[in-house]
Amino acid sequence: MAKPTPPSRRGATRQQPAGGRKNPWIGAERFSLSAYLRSHQAVLMESFSRLLGYPLASLMTVFVIAISLSLPGGMFVLLKNVQSITDRWEQQSVITLYLFPAQEDTEALALSHQLSGRADVASVEYISKEEGLRYFEQSSGYEQIMSALPENPLPIVLNVIPKASVDLETLPELQSLRDQLQGLPQVEYAELDAEWLQRLATILNFGQRFVYAISALLVMAVLLIVGNTIRTAVESRRDEVLVMKLVGATNSYIRRPFLYMGFWFGVIGGVIAAICILSLTWWVSSPAQRLVELYQAGFELQSFNAGEIIMCLTISALIGVIGSWLAVSRHIRDIELQ
Amino acid sequence: MEIEFQQVGKKYESGQEALSQVSFHLRQGEMAFLTGHSGAGKSTLMKLIMMIERQSYGKILVDNVDLRTLGKAAIPFHRRRVGVVFQNHQLLFDRSVFHNVALPLQVSGADDSQVGKRVRAALDKVGLLGKEKLNPMALSGGEQQRIGIARAVVNKPQLLLADEPTGNLDPRLSAEIMNLFQEFNRVGVTVLIASHDLALVARMRHRVLTLNQGRMVNDGGFS
Repeated sequence: MAKPTPPSRRGATRQQPAGGRKNPWIGAERFSLSAYLRSHQAVLMESFSRLLGYPLASLMTVFVIAISLSLPGGMFVLLKNVQSITDRWEQQSVITLYLFPAQEDTEALALSHQLSGRADVASVEYISKEEGLRYFEQSSGYEQIMSALPENPLPIVLNVIPKASVDLETLPELQSLRDQLQGLPQVEYAELDAEWLQRLATILNFGQRFVYAISALLVMAVLLIVGNTIRTAVESRRDEVLVMKLVGATNSYIRRPFLYMGFWFGVIGGVIAAICILSLTWWVSSPAQRLVELYQAGFELQSFNAGEIIMCLTISALIGVIGSWLAVSRHIRDIELQ
Repeated sequence: MEIEFQQVGKKYESGQEALSQVSFHLRQGEMAFLTGHSGAGKSTLMKLIMMIERQSYGKILVDNVDLRTLGKAAIPFHRRRVGVVFQNHQLLFDRSVFHNVALPLQVSGADDSQVGKRVRAALDKVGLLGKEKLNPMALSGGEQQRIGIARAVVNKPQLLLADEPTGNLDPRLSAEIMNLFQEFNRVGVTVLIASHDLALVARMRHRVLTLNQGRMVNDGGFS
């Protein structure tokens, strides 16, 4: 008889007995796909009822997962809303060019014409030294000091108005335009009037990284928690694992219900996390709306959309399965028949 | 299924030599007893056949396949061809008699319709057909041992191993259990039973292999 090498598909195939004698106690099983799928379905259901076997431990695990996922999920929603506010903040930006004091009107006017011809520039406002002085005297209240000066110290100023309105998406574009203009030989200093936006962008960038880091830490915590719960479950079923090994169960067969158990932990934790986030946004939506409407009309607080809910569930299910896998594969190997 | 041991030895890490230079040949369809005082190496020999332990030297052939050539992944498939009965029945008390007996079939991915039929056939063989829905805990020691036998044969193995299957049963029940094994042997299953109940073994009139301190000291007819 051929040696019993494992079949490539998981399941069972058995060799026909050697010799022609028909024997009622020597039979052959064939691999059956439908039986295989049905066994998976059965294990899926069975593993769910296993969770109910340890209600307290399961509940705690599920809630820890839910809380760990709600935190980064909530921060994600917060960031999404801040971003959407600033995205809609359509505002003209201005790049102010302070030319070198030596620049004369004729050259400066030529530059102004040249710049207004650019594709990314809507218009250029020319402020001569005299206009600048007048404006300065009116607004600053430094009339006496200015008139005491022997000559006008102000440079020619060009206010370049770019075509793009300023928001978080166009900010890099505008910054590179500013840098280009700064590079012109006539320009002493170019200033992009969007400092607040730059700060916001930096804060958002920081916030994003913060959310990623927190998420990574919490995901690791969830992996450990799921792993620990599953390890306890394996330990409590030690006898069963031993008997299954004795009657010829493969490690993958023994592993399966525990992986499904991890799957359930993840999915149920994910559902609770999604519910938490949805109710949280609902709870803060009306004060948040009032707050934002003080500054801007037409704001609507965004929560998880359908795609993000599915994403949240997928990630949590995956975390559950991976956490379970990490614990179960080494633990089942350690339980050996003596 | 036939089994052949050629100069097989097993040393444990502790340095204890459980088996040394053991040779015998069990033919297809043969029934034999393995005797010896406790610690003589009976259980170790059984474990080597089940691949629960690996031999330190020598050669074990099962159906002419050298067990050393089988890797870890092949072990479950090897075990499915062998039915085992242990003294401590290794039953699971969190499920019914039916599900205990069905375990080897489920593990090997048998079809549901097959499972019911086979389990009932096996329970019928050991005389427990009406008790499939009960918890094994509710049954007597002798009945529990018969559940173990039903589980061992449900997969229609070609080899049946039993380690002290009558360990703590009274003589009448022990004889019943032995008769069951004889019935399976009659339909062609190779049977090897480890037992220290010499009186019972002698009454059965089968080949007897005797181990003493890890050595095969007698291989022959019933004594």
